[in-house]
Amino acid sequence: MSQPIPASSTSSASAPSAAPSRSARSRPRQPVVTGVGVVAPNGQSAERFWKSVQNGDSVLGPVTREGCTHLPLKVAGEVEGFDPSALIDGRFLVQTDRFTHFAMAAAEMALQDARLENDPEHPFAIGVVTAAGSGGGEFGQGELQQLWGKGPSFVGPYQSIAWFYAASTGQISIRGGFRGPCGVLANDEAGGLDALAHAARTIRRGTDAVVVGATEAPLAPYSVVCQLGYPELSLSADPQRAYLPFTTDACGFAPAEGGAMFVLEDREAAQRRGARPQAVLAGHAANFTGTGDWSRSRQGLARAIRDALDEAGCSAREVDVVFADALGVPEADQAEALAIADALGPHAATVPVTAPKTGFGRAYSASSALDVAAAVLALEHGVVPPTPNVTGVRHDLDVVTGEARTTPLHTALVLSRGLMGCNSAVVLRSAHGDER
Amino acid sequence: MNGPVTFDELAALMKARAGLTVDPREMERRPDATFAEFDLDSLGLLGIVAELEKRYGRPIGDQAEGCKSPHAFLDNVNNQLTAAGV
Repeated sequence: MSQPIPASSTSSASAPSAAPSRSARSRPRQPVVTGVGVVAPNGQSAERFWKSVQNGDSVLGPVTREGCTHLPLKVAGEVEGFDPSALIDGRFLVQTDRFTHFAMAAAEMALQDARLENDPEHPFAIGVVTAAGSGGGEFGQGELQQLWGKGPSFVGPYQSIAWFYAASTGQISIRGGFRGPCGVLANDEAGGLDALAHAARTIRRGTDAVVVGATEAPLAPYSVVCQLGYPELSLSADPQRAYLPFTTDACGFAPAEGGAMFVLEDREAAQRRGARPQAVLAGHAANFTGTGDWSRSRQGLARAIRDALDEAGCSAREVDVVFADALGVPEADQAEALAIADALGPHAATVPVTAPKTGFGRAYSASSALDVAAAVLALEHGVVPPTPNVTGVRHDLDVVTGEARTTPLHTALVLSRGLMGCNSAVVLRSAHGDER
Repeated sequence: MNGPVTFDELAALMKARAGLTVDPREMERRPDATFAEFDLDSLGLLGIVAELEKRYGRPIGDQAEGCKSPHAFLDNVNNQLTAAGV
């Protein structure tokens, strides 16, 4: 492997070592993806994840995690055989929940992919932003059981940080020495996209790079019981039929664990250290349409798509592929199909639409982060991956089923909606369009 | 220092409670070395104090959890335990 290159290294003495003032620039800072790290049910690296996504593998299966098997949730996407100790020191593992183990491992892989490491001379050049929906439920449950089963003195002090939504941001920052702007978003599934937008704003304000993404570990007893209250949760026991969005058999979604982390970086900062941009984060928009009626998400999602395309300076016809939210609830699927039609016009009927997550489940805020990972890799490879298990689409959309499609891709639209009413859209563009 | 809690025991607690692999002989050899140098944070030390309280069946006060070095910590804890007749 090549040697890591510090974020602030410069190729010439005249290059700026700190963020120059905005007025000194001829064009705005552009956030690009330079590293991708994935821990997903269908692959514990970006490479293995992409291979499985491209194949259309379905890895949904019976829930096997301890304390969960007797619950009504029967099918999920589990990350099996995950061993974080290969990448992360024991001291970080003892202090943190499984969702943070996923985040630290995925962040380490993203940093290796970007060949980025902290420069002790410029510790503020790199920030960290994560999104989290369920926090450290498994760790928290264990300590609460100690509290009520044995007494307060049996609760470990790391309970104070491990359960918390911000734990992953904090631990990635501490471990890497990244002292730039840090944040956490706890805003539903859409948080995975909104975290990227937050990181992009951080970069536009002058930070060179942000380690950003989302991971979740909701397959533990307390967390599963919480999810049982969601009417959208699929209780089907058949892994091939539990999560079938856009079909007449749609019966909700299968949950998953895992997630994706990225290195998002100012394009010039990346160029200075010789890092290769994989995709441009060109546009984002988010809004809120509330809970209880999925038909309302049509208006919100359509607006998010239009606003994200506006920010990207991209016309509807330029969209080459849509990574759908694909909730798997008939009213929600209908609202999404109509939103895509509202926002993209006639192009909506012919643009390829895909939802690789039907093969491995929906990991809450990490679901949209995994979609972004799939979209970045799709742009890189010129391949639209298929939507596993889905056949017989009932909407006027060109949902890619069966086999992957090889086609030149320059622009990808990624959509996400949260169970609590958030709508979000991201536009990613190929980083190599200028040079081709 | 002579007391019920040894550097070996402290090293084992640092492993069990905070995930740290520390050489007890190194801690013993370096009276000025701080917990921070061994990567133990304040939450980790709190957990070790709680474990010792359970093990010896009595409260450990006197700011043991505020000690900055393994030597200061063991002095403090062992003085308390010895005074209590442990």
